[in-house]
Amino acid sequence: MSSETEKILTTDGIPLEVSLKKAERKNKIKAFLLVAPLLLFLLITYIFPIGDMLMRSVDDKMVTEMLPKTFKSMEKWDGNEMPPEEVFEAFYLDFQKLVEEKRDGKLSTQLNYTKNGFKSILKKLRRKAKNFEEGNYKEQIMAVHKRWADVEYWRAIKRRAPAYTTSKYLKGMDMYKNEDGKIVNVDEDRRIHRVLWLRTLEIAFFVTLLCFLMAYPIAHLLATLPMKYSNLLMICVLLPFWTSLLVRTASWMILLQQQGVVNDFFVMTGLVADDNRPEMMYNKTGTYVAMTQILLPFMVLPLYSVMKTISPSLMRAGKSLGGTPFITFWKVYFPLTIPGIGAGCLLVFILAIGYYITPALVGGASGTLISNQIAFHMKSTLDWSFASAMGLMLLAGVLAIYWVYNKLVGIDNIKLG
Amino acid sequence: MKKLSKLLLVLSFALSISSTAFAVTVASWGGAYTESQKLGYGDPTAKKLGVPINWVDYSGGLSEIKAQKEAGKITWDIIDVFAMDTITGCDEGLFVEFDFDKDFPAAPDGTAASKDFFAPMPSKCAVGNILYSWNYAYNTNNVKGTPKTIKDFFNTKKFPGKRAIYKSALTNLEIALAADGIKPGKGGAKIYKALETEKGVNRAMNKIKELCTDPNGGCVFWSAGAQPPELLVSGEVVMATGWNGRFFNAEIGEGAPIKQVWDGQGLDYEYFVLVKGGPNEADAKKALAMMTSTEGLAGSAKYIAYAPWRKSSLKVMAAGEPWYKDGKTNMVPQMPTAPANTKNYFLVDPLFWADNGTELGEKWEAMKSGL
Repeated sequence: MSSETEKILTTDGIPLEVSLKKAERKNKIKAFLLVAPLLLFLLITYIFPIGDMLMRSVDDKMVTEMLPKTFKSMEKWDGNEMPPEEVFEAFYLDFQKLVEEKRDGKLSTQLNYTKNGFKSILKKLRRKAKNFEEGNYKEQIMAVHKRWADVEYWRAIKRRAPAYTTSKYLKGMDMYKNEDGKIVNVDEDRRIHRVLWLRTLEIAFFVTLLCFLMAYPIAHLLATLPMKYSNLLMICVLLPFWTSLLVRTASWMILLQQQGVVNDFFVMTGLVADDNRPEMMYNKTGTYVAMTQILLPFMVLPLYSVMKTISPSLMRAGKSLGGTPFITFWKVYFPLTIPGIGAGCLLVFILAIGYYITPALVGGASGTLISNQIAFHMKSTLDWSFASAMGLMLLAGVLAIYWVYNKLVGIDNIKLG
Repeated sequence: MKKLSKLLLVLSFALSISSTAFAVTVASWGGAYTESQKLGYGDPTAKKLGVPINWVDYSGGLSEIKAQKEAGKITWDIIDVFAMDTITGCDEGLFVEFDFDKDFPAAPDGTAASKDFFAPMPSKCAVGNILYSWNYAYNTNNVKGTPKTIKDFFNTKKFPGKRAIYKSALTNLEIALAADGIKPGKGGAKIYKALETEKGVNRAMNKIKELCTDPNGGCVFWSAGAQPPELLVSGEVVMATGWNGRFFNAEIGEGAPIKQVWDGQGLDYEYFVLVKGGPNEADAKKALAMMTSTEGLAGSAKYIAYAPWRKSSLKVMAAGEPWYKDGKTNMVPQMPTAPANTKNYFLVDPLFWADNGTELGEKWEAMKSGL
């Protein structure tokens, strides 16, 4: 084969294959240059920040570098009893160096992430350490504050020794690695992240389901009504879409609270007694109602765009072939709308999973979601590595759902418009 | 015409650059609060100093200034922050450390600045701005009798009805202990001593749990400062903890039927910090000294019911009553630091919360999800 193709030459004597490749390469470069800005944009605004997040979530070099002598002397310490004098001495020397460089504050922030209570005892140590006498550092440090005599705090320091760590991810699942290298759960009264993950998934799932159940008939109506009615209906769908999120959340609060408009109406019509008003706000009901209403357009629009392309004659054909209205809907119409359902559900689910202002305002005791926790660590504790780890876990969750969707339905089977 | 407009565009751009380059930029919380700062001491200082002061809004936290620093382009000179943030930011080396008596003017009677502050500063980087209160208020139409103490807030037998409390552990644990019978001691020291122990924390959590699961009580958790007065006025709750400035606005400004109770209040603080390596650090430092002077701080209390950090400012206000901008409301009794309001109070301890905030937050959320 190959020898035959080699024989075909263009007019100027260059083998056809080479000449074709050359022309093709030119086109390829042109095409690449055309998409290059987009590629660069994606790289800078998407890939690079995610890579940075990944690095931040596992990088723990800062503490490793701050306490080199301490970690070296801790290598021999098994973590069961209080560490020996040499560990205290090494820690004292490392700490004094940090104080000189004015970096002790950073250390206290970092150690406080691992175990709460480090901030104040390191501040106290800085004050007292100026008057330390040489030798017997163990006793002197332990006398500064009772927490320095608690082995838990020294174990917490040892846990920060490796330059790279998965501890932030474990913490996101309410676990940590203990002294023997075993992964164990944190105390029961502090297990909160797993609850929040499940709650986030649960709320996102039910909001998606509710959105789907409500949006399907609306989209169908939009797609089949004559233009002049469907336009009006479309505006009704879009109008809340253009209203601020907070305004819509606040109006739900006014409507649904116990002394609110809806409850007043129930009492007026005698449906419920005045002293027995149902609670529809500051609990999960409130969250579902408000979030479903806010996210509804994201379901309606993809469904509508798909339904609009389905020819009405298909349904007529189904009926003429003897199908009942339900059978024709189920066998002909519904399968054709699956690309829209897929797009809408993915869109709503992904948006819902990252929501936090609305649940915080209307959700009451159950209003905290995992995103609130991420925001808390971004803004208040400045533990960006933990926030990054949780952010990546959320991203991994979304990707997993995307993968499952791809397996079940196929990603080509998705249509936004 | 086209050329002219282009020229104008370039000129205005150049002007905007040069003006921001020599102005001082202050980041604060926005709304009525920033308005009171601007009118109270921002504009007078700008006039005196001859340097314009730009006010920009932000939503709190240190993430923005940290990001600015990491990007190598700091745009803020002064930030209005919470106590906890001054500690964290100072530790991280984001802010300038002060020498209080040297950097800030003395009171009119000659008291050194550090002695004139209501309480010691939480870190060397912070200079006090206002004190506000976490107190509680009730709807006078829906409550029979008059709640007077912090115990009454938890007394659902005498005052049945739902309560609104803050969504996080901050200050809730303190008032729970104060209502459970712990005397706050000087500045709330005894409360925080109790909260250092597991037993104390559990005691506080149980008190809150009891209130929230009580069929005669129940809790609504608020997250935005505007919510407590709103929840009271709508009748959704009968009592609510909240920030005194918001209650003041509803009560005096809008004539809502609510009344504040100061017993067991938590005093919390707002501070200014000076950004290290900000665009105009030298002028910003001068402006900061003027803004936080006795007259400067008293000025902001004309527009909002938050207390100036300097004790001497209260005297200026008392001499000028009625001090409120409406010309008829006496402001000193509305101040969280007024002697009548500080008979039983605690100072929110930023160091305690910087130390234990994360773990207590986790316990709090775990307790909440069991409600």
